Amino acid sequence: MFAHIFMNRLRCLLRDKETIFWTFAFPLALSLFFYLALSNIGKGETFQEIDIAVVNDSRYQEDLYFKTALEEASKGEDRLFDLTLATEEEAGKLLENGSIKGYIKAGDQIELVVKESGMYQSIIKSFLDNYSQTFKAVETVLRNDPKKYQEVMESLKDRKNYVKEVPTAGGKPDIVINYFYTLIAMACMYGSFFGMRETSDIQADISPLAARINIAPVHKLKAFLSSICASMLIHLVVMLALLGFIRYVLNIDFGPRTGYVLLTMVIGSITGVFFGAFVSALVKKSEGIKVAVLIGVSMLGSFLAGMMYIDIKYLISMNVPFLSWINPVNLLTDAFYSLYYLDDLSRYALNIGVLSGFATLFCVLTYLILRRRKYAGL
Amino acid sequence: MPVYNLCMRIIRKNIPSLLIYLFVFVGVSIIVSSSSANPQKAVNEFTRKKADIAFISKDDSPLIEGLRNEIGKIANFIDIPDNKGDLQDALFFRRVVYILRVPEGFAQKFIAGEEVFLEKTFVPGSASSAYIDLSVDKYLNTAKFYLEHMDNISQEGLVAYLNDTLSEEATVTVLPARTKTNLSNLAYTYNYMAYSLSSILILGMSAIMMALNDKDLKNRMSCSPISGTKSNLQFFLACLTFSGAAWLVQIIACFILDLENVMTLNTVFFIISSLVFTFCGTALGYLIGSIVKGTEAIPAITNVVVLGSCFLSGVFVPAELLGKSTLKIASFTPAYWFVKANNQIAQLSQFDLSSLKPVFSDIAVIFCFASAFFALSLLIRKTKRYN
Repeated sequence: MFAHIFMNRLRCLLRDKETIFWTFAFPLALSLFFYLALSNIGKGETFQEIDIAVVNDSRYQEDLYFKTALEEASKGEDRLFDLTLATEEEAGKLLENGSIKGYIKAGDQIELVVKESGMYQSIIKSFLDNYSQTFKAVETVLRNDPKKYQEVMESLKDRKNYVKEVPTAGGKPDIVINYFYTLIAMACMYGSFFGMRETSDIQADISPLAARINIAPVHKLKAFLSSICASMLIHLVVMLALLGFIRYVLNIDFGPRTGYVLLTMVIGSITGVFFGAFVSALVKKSEGIKVAVLIGVSMLGSFLAGMMYIDIKYLISMNVPFLSWINPVNLLTDAFYSLYYLDDLSRYALNIGVLSGFATLFCVLTYLILRRRKYAGL
Repeated sequence: MPVYNLCMRIIRKNIPSLLIYLFVFVGVSIIVSSSSANPQKAVNEFTRKKADIAFISKDDSPLIEGLRNEIGKIANFIDIPDNKGDLQDALFFRRVVYILRVPEGFAQKFIAGEEVFLEKTFVPGSASSAYIDLSVDKYLNTAKFYLEHMDNISQEGLVAYLNDTLSEEATVTVLPARTKTNLSNLAYTYNYMAYSLSSILILGMSAIMMALNDKDLKNRMSCSPISGTKSNLQFFLACLTFSGAAWLVQIIACFILDLENVMTLNTVFFIISSLVFTFCGTALGYLIGSIVKGTEAIPAITNVVVLGSCFLSGVFVPAELLGKSTLKIASFTPAYWFVKANNQIAQLSQFDLSSLKPVFSDIAVIFCFASAFFALSLLIRKTKRYN
């Protein structure tokens, strides 16, 4: 009997194009839009060689130290600047049309001319400050002991880097990835549309189909379980396809722990389906109202998990951590984030633990609402 | 006017779902206008850009205190608890862009000439990281220089030398900025209309079309004493009322939220571009209503069409952050030209023909899209009728 109900239910659900659209095609399309719109966002903060010009006059040509310093900083792979030599007039034009961030005038007091304040302009200034300050340091030392000239000049060449990068075990802090994680989490919660259908189709006072199922000589729990298994199977396949699309077509990194990523998706999917079943059993209103509640909760959850504005997730977790822990979309997003970015699994385990708790709670509550329901008249 | 009244009744029935988009629009507009409450003053004075960093020190020597002060000139120190999870979270969500850790006994070893390093965790390849590195290396290299050449120097004496040396700065001249209009926040609000207005127009128009496409209703209308021309005219009048009202409500919302710029010429051009876009949205709604068969499919198609074009055209994410190929795809949607026109209008300070030409050409493209949508839907309807 299980196989009979399961197979028929499967066929029935696959014909429901609307639910398939919202659970599969919509998140898929949204992931593509995210990819097209957000793939350039991270590049804005990447350092690029700064285009600058220097006024090529006699003062610049005569100031050999400054000339060498500037040329050194504009050479090699890790260079700071892309340097152009120009007359003051040309440099002014280049600055005006935005080809350079600023131009430098050599002299006793080095001058930087810019159009606005900004990160790149500040870096140019830091470089020039550095030069003037080194000059001042040399002056101070030589004033103290003029004989050290040769020694001092030699030591200037020996500049060291004092900052060493500490390698982190997890992935890169790529902010765009979180948008895709919230999207998968939202798609998991959209499994609630399947759950909603299952409870609507088993409560005889809600739909004529449910009334027919209720008079069949099958235990209600058995009928319900067989149907919800079909729903879960479809939703899992749908989620697997979405995950595969995001991972292999859009090339979004999930870290090396594929097994855990799949486990998260399965638990997320189960939570989504049972959430829908629970809401549908609880809200004794029309389908429109139930759908509105489900979409409202999923969208609010997605918003709080950073789907529309990434900073929200961090703000909530810092200021109202309770809200982070009761939001299934955030728990799922955070589980994916932990797998990708953090090396230890304790936070992941906590997220999955709380999420499983939610899934169990929705399941038990749905059962308690649906069981032993008798209808005096329909 | 029975056809007109019928259309109005259908719209009234759909008002709750249409209102959602209006609320989203008003909400976003309020957020955008409140974020522009403190407009940036045009300054002709150079201010250093400050990066947000976490500075964790296990060494409280004067040398490190001096380093902290020096970095403080170019960075804001953000307090983050010193545990791995919190620090990694802060870096991922850009609360800080750089974490600098000073190991225990750093200053002592540094003064003794041992090879020591500060530890950094940062957003790879970021400009702020290059900026902080430059400052730290400058401080420590100057300190090393003094240690090598000044005999018997104490740590306090070293810091005094460093403070004196590092106060030397290059002169920066900021060219006087040309007076340039920048209403980018207002442009963002008008651009957002591409989402809310299109959604409202497509949903409303398709709802009317779905009802009018009903076979029984069509038969009933064709046997009524109202001529085809008259009923068509009433239908178009209803569409005009609906789209005009949808446009007017959002324009009024824009006015209320930005009273300061209502009387500018830029607003006049914003109004023109949004009006042409409304016409285009109505045409698109008419086209979708002519193609789609079931009412369930309408929200699905609306969401994909509207969200897709808005994501690609720079409505949600500013167009300058989008890739070239994305914008090329987007140029096949009217939203792209609407956003382009609005962004240009926001920059307008002179209203001569040469400055207005690009704006008008973008508006003309939107108009062409609208005409194409109308022509296509008329063709589809005609083909359907013959079938």
